[in-house]
Amino acid sequence: MSVIGTRGLTKIYNGEVRAVDGIDFEVEAGEIFAFLGPNGAGKTTTIKMLNTLILPTSGSATVAGFDVVKHPAEVRRRVGYAAQDVGVDERATGRENLTLYGHFYRLDNRRIRERVKELFELVGLNGYEDKMVSSYSGGMRKRLDLAMGLIHQPQVIFLDEPTTGLDPQTRVHLWDYINKLAKTMGVAVFLTTHYMEEADRLADRIAIIDLGKIRTIGTSDALKKSIGGDVVTLTPPAEKDEERQDFVKRAEAALSGKPFVTETKPSDGQLAVYVKDGAAAIPGIMQIMGSQGIEVKTIAMSRPSLDDVFLKYTGRTIRAQEGTQTTFVQMRRQANRRRNR
Amino acid sequence: MTDALSDTWQVILRDLRVRIRMPVFIFMSLFQPILWLLLFTQIFKALGGGAGGLNVWGPDVSYLEGFAPGVIVMTVLFGSAFAGFGTLMDIDAGIMSKMLATPVTRVSIITGRVIAAVTVGVVQAGIVFIVAAIMGVHVATGIPGVLLVFLLVGLLGIGFAAFSNGLALLLRRQETVMAVVNLFTMPLMFMSTTMMPATVNNDGVTVQILPHWLDIARQFNPVDYAVVGVRNLVLPDYYVWSDLWKPLVVLAAFAVVMVVFGTMMFRAKAE
Ligand SMILES: Nc1ncnc2c1ncn2[C@@H]1O[C@H](COP(=O)(O)OP(=O)(O)O)[C@@H](O)[C@H]1O
Ligand SMILES: [Mg+2]
Repeated sequence: MSVIGTRGLTKIYNGEVRAVDGIDFEVEAGEIFAFLGPNGAGKTTTIKMLNTLILPTSGSATVAGFDVVKHPAEVRRRVGYAAQDVGVDERATGRENLTLYGHFYRLDNRRIRERVKELFELVGLNGYEDKMVSSYSGGMRKRLDLAMGLIHQPQVIFLDEPTTGLDPQTRVHLWDYINKLAKTMGVAVFLTTHYMEEADRLADRIAIIDLGKIRTIGTSDALKKSIGGDVVTLTPPAEKDEERQDFVKRAEAALSGKPFVTETKPSDGQLAVYVKDGAAAIPGIMQIMGSQGIEVKTIAMSRPSLDDVFLKYTGRTIRAQEGTQTTFVQMRRQANRRRNR
Repeated sequence: MTDALSDTWQVILRDLRVRIRMPVFIFMSLFQPILWLLLFTQIFKALGGGAGGLNVWGPDVSYLEGFAPGVIVMTVLFGSAFAGFGTLMDIDAGIMSKMLATPVTRVSIITGRVIAAVTVGVVQAGIVFIVAAIMGVHVATGIPGVLLVFLLVGLLGIGFAAFSNGLALLLRRQETVMAVVNLFTMPLMFMSTTMMPATVNNDGVTVQILPHWLDIARQFNPVDYAVVGVRNLVLPDYYVWSDLWKPLVVLAAFAVVMVVFGTMMFRAKAE
């Protein structure tokens, strides 16, 4: 039985922003399910509808057996949440933070003490229980935040960009905890990310979301296979934007419709050519380029990556947006958004 | 119901813990009322009773005795009017949305904060009370009177703490809330009988001190009801037990209305 299920789930902000636009998906117990998408895709909005923080505009969702609109209290009791920005109280100790949530989840004192011990071990924070959170590093806060969402042994945990802003080593650690949660404790993990590698390594299944719509869902392998062969990337010698665009346009015109070409996609002044068999296609491509007088600087062949999957289904690269993800400006914008609600 | 009480209790504990860890703030907010007590009673000494005094509060009542009730009320007013700040800080730090994702009873988040703020405010008022007592203020109505004083200022504090929370949720910005709170606390105090009674009766001649419009305006000022109520309990010959019902009813109504306002804003705006 699925632990999360949605039907046409939609959120429209202020009557105009279609943040989430009719999405359908299911998540099973013990599964790690990732929403992969760029900034503004609607990932956070989806999580907030599923954990009852905001109401859907239309459609429905069931979480842990209960409808999120009709039985929000039942849902809250069974889910945990770690937001994109940590929500720990830095004017309290780690234990005080956890204990407060233990009470909110109606655990008795003895059980809370047990869980505090277990959770500090699980997230590798033992020894820091009684230190003020203001002395914790960013990674430690993130782990405490995760632990706070787990104190009541939820059936589902929602992790909104769990490793954004963490150093690579901490990120790998966190992946371990998340994996342990799902695989040894049977918790359904719903996480969002804009890191290809995170989705690739951690998730059982990935949904690619862009502009509020799910473009495709599947295992990492299945998604890559769906591209149907190899990717050949053509790069022009030109540096200027217009010249590169011109190159892409001409190359695309020359190659489209050729029997060995499945699809072509421009990306950042390069052209991605999807072909069934890369090695066999390259001579043909070179020949066509030569006969059309289109100068090519490099030609590269790769097995499809999630980047290619993303490009194929959204027409954009996620990399192009990645740089802007955790800038100060964006954090300011989020703080403002919280305020203006 | 027991869930709501337990949640409220946890929110109170959390709030008090934070405050106790920053004792500087508790003492800083005591500094002003005590300074007023020391300073104004010197400046306006001649207005009080005694040889050559103007007897504004009545015969044989020193300026200090008439002014101290107002300072006690002020302490609670300033202590509670900034209660909404903690709520804003929780929202800005992402703590609020994380709490709302738990089964915590919604109103407890506000009621707990209000109660914590009022508790601290009342304790501060108690300290000011002690300072006033050392300076020579005696409560005419004794221990029951002191308890009633705390009830009156407690109700006022609940009202302003809840109002402050509602305002914070409405305005969302700490700077704006700060400006608005400052905008109303000072005038509310000056437009009351904190520093001067409305009328002075000297040798059978009644002089109207507050201008007529202010005398009317203070009928709508909860701070004035608290000041009048407390003064009635403190000064000799002032208290008429049967007069106490009016400040009590008005302040209780004020507290209820503001708690409703605060919780309504919370339901509408917290996420
Ligand atoms: N409270 C809000 N009011 C108006 N628009 C919002 C609000 N929250 C998010 N949005 C908009 O909805 C879209 C999706 O946002 P979000 O779910 O935060 O995306 P993601 O988490 O994938 O970055 C964006 O265009 C964003 O600007
Ligand atoms: Mg987001």
